[in-house]
Amino acid sequence: MGDSIVWLRAVTKDYGQGDVVVRALRGIDLTLDRGDFAAVAGPSGSGKSTLLNVMSGLDRPSSGEVSLDGRDLTRLSRSELSRLRLTRIGFVFQAYNLLPVLTAYENAEYVLMMQGVPASARRERVMGLLELVGLGGMEDRFPRELSGGQQQRVAIARAIASEPALILADEPTANVDSKTAAALLDLMQQLNEEKGVTFLFSTHDRKVMARAGRLIRLVDGRIAYDGEAGSLEALDADEG
Amino acid sequence: MGTLRIAWRSIWRNGRRTAITVAAVGMSTLIMVVTFGLMDGMRIDMVHNVTHLVLGDVQVHATGYRADQSFYKAVPEPEAILDAARAAGVHAAPRAYGYGLVSVGHKSAGARFWGVEPAAERAAFDLAGKLAQGSFLSDSAEASRASRELVLGRKLARSLHAELGSEIIAVVQAADGSLGNELFTVVGILVSCGEDMDRSAAIIHARDFELLFVSGGRIHEIALNARGTVSPERVAARLEAAVTGKAELEEKKPEKEAGGVDIETWRELNPALSDMERLFGASMWLFSLIFFLAAGLGVMNTMLMATFERIREFGVLKALGSTPWRILRDVATESFVLGLFASLLGAVLGAACNLYLAHAGIDLSRYGDVFVEGVAFSPIWRAAASVEGIAAPSAVMVVVCVLAALYPAAKAARLDPVRAMTHV
Ligand SMILES: Nc1ncnc2c1ncn2[C@@H]1O[C@H](COP(=O)(O)OP(=O)(O)OP(=O)(O)O)[C@@H](O)[C@H]1O
Ligand SMILES: [Mg+2]
Repeated sequence: MGDSIVWLRAVTKDYGQGDVVVRALRGIDLTLDRGDFAAVAGPSGSGKSTLLNVMSGLDRPSSGEVSLDGRDLTRLSRSELSRLRLTRIGFVFQAYNLLPVLTAYENAEYVLMMQGVPASARRERVMGLLELVGLGGMEDRFPRELSGGQQQRVAIARAIASEPALILADEPTANVDSKTAAALLDLMQQLNEEKGVTFLFSTHDRKVMARAGRLIRLVDGRIAYDGEAGSLEALDADEG
Repeated sequence: MGTLRIAWRSIWRNGRRTAITVAAVGMSTLIMVVTFGLMDGMRIDMVHNVTHLVLGDVQVHATGYRADQSFYKAVPEPEAILDAARAAGVHAAPRAYGYGLVSVGHKSAGARFWGVEPAAERAAFDLAGKLAQGSFLSDSAEASRASRELVLGRKLARSLHAELGSEIIAVVQAADGSLGNELFTVVGILVSCGEDMDRSAAIIHARDFELLFVSGGRIHEIALNARGTVSPERVAARLEAAVTGKAELEEKKPEKEAGGVDIETWRELNPALSDMERLFGASMWLFSLIFFLAAGLGVMNTMLMATFERIREFGVLKALGSTPWRILRDVATESFVLGLFASLLGAVLGAACNLYLAHAGIDLSRYGDVFVEGVAFSPIWRAAASVEGIAAPSAVMVVVCVLAALYPAAKAARLDPVRAMTHV
């Protein structure tokens, strides 16, 4: 257990108003520590995406407290939140991750460019990262010229390029086959172990869950399990 | 990777749609460039027709002469003005005016006599070539005197039933109060040169004028024509400097004689033409508003579709931490690049058309004569192929394209990232 990166207390999130309120999160207490390699699992509609969005400031909680890297997200303005995401959080999404008009290199470099990192420094870092994620020699390919797994590797390279405190990945392996999913997990694990990057990813996939160091299982907007991923009953209880 | 390069790639994602938009914007630019060229050509021609006939860019009179046209208000030192004009490389024609009676047989009419230097008129103005019949005065005073040459305005000739060779008796009050009279022969009849000249002009050699009016070489008007080499305002400014500079040298002269002249540009001399010329320019822009509006709406539609197709991408960008500003800028840049490309295309094609139309012109002679301010217009309509005439509408078109993209761009910039990413 190191120091904490994300800290949630009694977080709820309701969608809609009046009679048709959807209670997506119903009181979440959660602490994520530096160096965690954690998975959020749970049935569809259990609140996985909502949790990740609240954590990154993409969505505001209905009540409760959220702090990231020691900053109280509920007190930040929209532009402060977007600045925080730009500098402190890396994102990998399920699909449409990459800009189709940019090459692999340009996509990976995009966040650094938005941060105003000079071109020469960007070049050095991004070329190294593409090599690291196994895309050496493919930097000039456009996303349509890459496989789904390769595209996610570009997204991972982009996410770690600015060395954020936390990488949030919402179902990063949902659109790739199981072999590719395993390879992506290898990559994420390697980055976690070698570079100490903190990961939180959501998934439906049991094999992916099993790779996590920590498993957080959501049911109906509540945390039903939080602990070792190796524990089989935790996995079995999940209906996928 | 520059913003412009990304924008260029983005607009060609939907090649066909972009091609159609580029064609529409380029075509609008082309039409506007050609229209501006033709209208500008007409505007310049219109002004030239009037100023190059007799008016000139600038005229110099004795102070107050234009108000009462008094015979005694002569330009104080015409030689100095002519010297200054010569130094500035501007053609100048000195003129003297006086009123009197002309008669042919038992027909008579009032006339305004012009005493001119035919050689100077020929060099500075087009008048000497504007004859319906006959020819202009001889340059030499002797030749003109020998054949008693006189040129008549068109309507004056008609009302006198005068023809080439008709004998004309001129009766005037001379400067010394005596009655001056002289016999002339009509050697030329002018084409339409404007109502005043048509009705009253009786043009004779300056030497003949001096003898007829006993005028002692008085000059009432010096008309200067730079023929486009210098702007009228510059000519006026240089004369002003010359006149006041001279005044400084000869301090002993009384104040009113030191300056003693009115220096006025054609805009002051003919405010109606000046207003017309300005209205012409304004109406061109008014007309072009329609084209800008149509092109702008086309671009807005294209950019709306282009941003709508990419809602999820904008969502990802905003999630990654892109500011609304950046997205606004990126979308506006796409439209700028599209507009620039299309306008350049239109400008190049338009420039080619204008160069052709400036060279070959459009022959309007079969539609009959056109008059502006009573002056016959040249029957060949030529475009003006000026850099501003091509650049101005093209540049405005680019601005219009950027403005048209602001609404779609603002929509993209304001997207909520979570909703945008789940948008189907
Ligand atoms: N913008 C929204 N408006 C209304 N309801 C929403 C909205 N977003 C999510 N919900 C609801 O909140 C609940 C949690 O949704 P969420 O997307 O977090 O689930 P999830 O665990 O990510 O599901 P999945 O595995 O299908 O991705 C669901 O019942 C969903 O219908
Ligand atoms: Mg989800």
